[in-house]
Amino acid sequence: MDRVPNGRHKVSANRPVVVLSDTDSDSDSEGFVEELTPVHSKSNGKASSASLKTGGKASSFSKGEASNGKAYSSVKGGKGSSSHAVPTRSDAELKLELDIPPNSRMLMNCEAAELLQEIHEHMAILSEDPKIKIPESFDKAFQYAKDGNHFTTASSVKQALEPLKKCGVSDGEICMIANVGPETVEEVYALVPSLKANRSATEGSVTEVLAALANIKAAK
Amino acid sequence: MFFHIVLERNMQLHPRHFGPHLRDKLVSKLIKDVEGTCSGRHGFVVAITGVEDIGKGLIREGTGYVTFPVKYQCVVFRPFKGEILEAVVTMVNKMGFFAEAGPVQIFVSNHLIPDDMEFQSGDVPNYTTSDGSVKIQKESEVRLKIIGTRVDATEIFCIGTIKDDFLGVINDPGAAV
Repeated sequence: MDRVPNGRHKVSANRPVVVLSDTDSDSDSEGFVEELTPVHSKSNGKASSASLKTGGKASSFSKGEASNGKAYSSVKGGKGSSSHAVPTRSDAELKLELDIPPNSRMLMNCEAAELLQEIHEHMAILSEDPKIKIPESFDKAFQYAKDGNHFTTASSVKQALEPLKKCGVSDGEICMIANVGPETVEEVYALVPSLKANRSATEGSVTEVLAALANIKAAK
Repeated sequence: MFFHIVLERNMQLHPRHFGPHLRDKLVSKLIKDVEGTCSGRHGFVVAITGVEDIGKGLIREGTGYVTFPVKYQCVVFRPFKGEILEAVVTMVNKMGFFAEAGPVQIFVSNHLIPDDMEFQSGDVPNYTTSDGSVKIQKESEVRLKIIGTRVDATEIFCIGTIKDDFLGVINDPGAAV
């Protein structure tokens, strides 16, 4: 079965500086922001793509998005804000709320894979020194980035995603689309619900982008 | 999601390391101290990609150590609520299943698994549909959505769901081809 394609996504390149405290490690700990969303009983089937299997029937895309009640909380991770009570909003009102430090550059999985590949080659040399230990998280992240990379090159993915930027789609949303690699337009709007608010304006570009991504998908 | 970010850290160096290779010592210590760590704000620091600047050292009174402000670029990985990830199942039990996406652990409760999938115990515990067409077991690849995150000193732990549209098993290692 073919994998559901994963998309990549492109990002702006700002680079400001975040100053850490001089403690060795951040000791932020946040409570669980656990969000048990209402049961999406109508959407158990998912699998609009033949390659995506879940229990139940293939999903007819549930049009009643509002009733899905995906209660994304706007509680921001990383700030110990689990005690905030945030009113639920409709899917269309929600943007992918990336609580990222300002001036970070988001990396698509394929970009991260290319970057980590270079570092991996350097590390291969460094690892000959017994005093140098390669962190386990590097190997896991590198493998994850490689496995999630289903396109030929990062530059081709960036080019394919360009129309979305012109439509006003946020970098986080573009990133989500790229990393997920949806096959159909309905899949895009299901997985990135914040795009629904502006569907009429973005649907054409989304269709164009999906076609472009399909052309550059790497053979597996 | 991966990010490329510039961070700054104050590195302390013992005077015994002073000499012509001071910068190399600082960079080595930075890599050793930072790579592989996890913070609530930035997530996992996967790798340092470069050192932008090393500021002037300041001698700390009473100890003789010198503190250098070091500005460096690094790749971090941090999951977010609402993010869609592909993860590999690592363990299945009656409460749900655990999966890994890079360095991040994700737990999917049985409440957030489609109702028509039931837990099957045995040598290879799994969740299977009534007709047996879809199975979630160890090494299965699943697409899930993050609905909650928790960070402690050394790792990020997430709660996920596969109960929404277009989520679920991508690749079942036990399925017949």
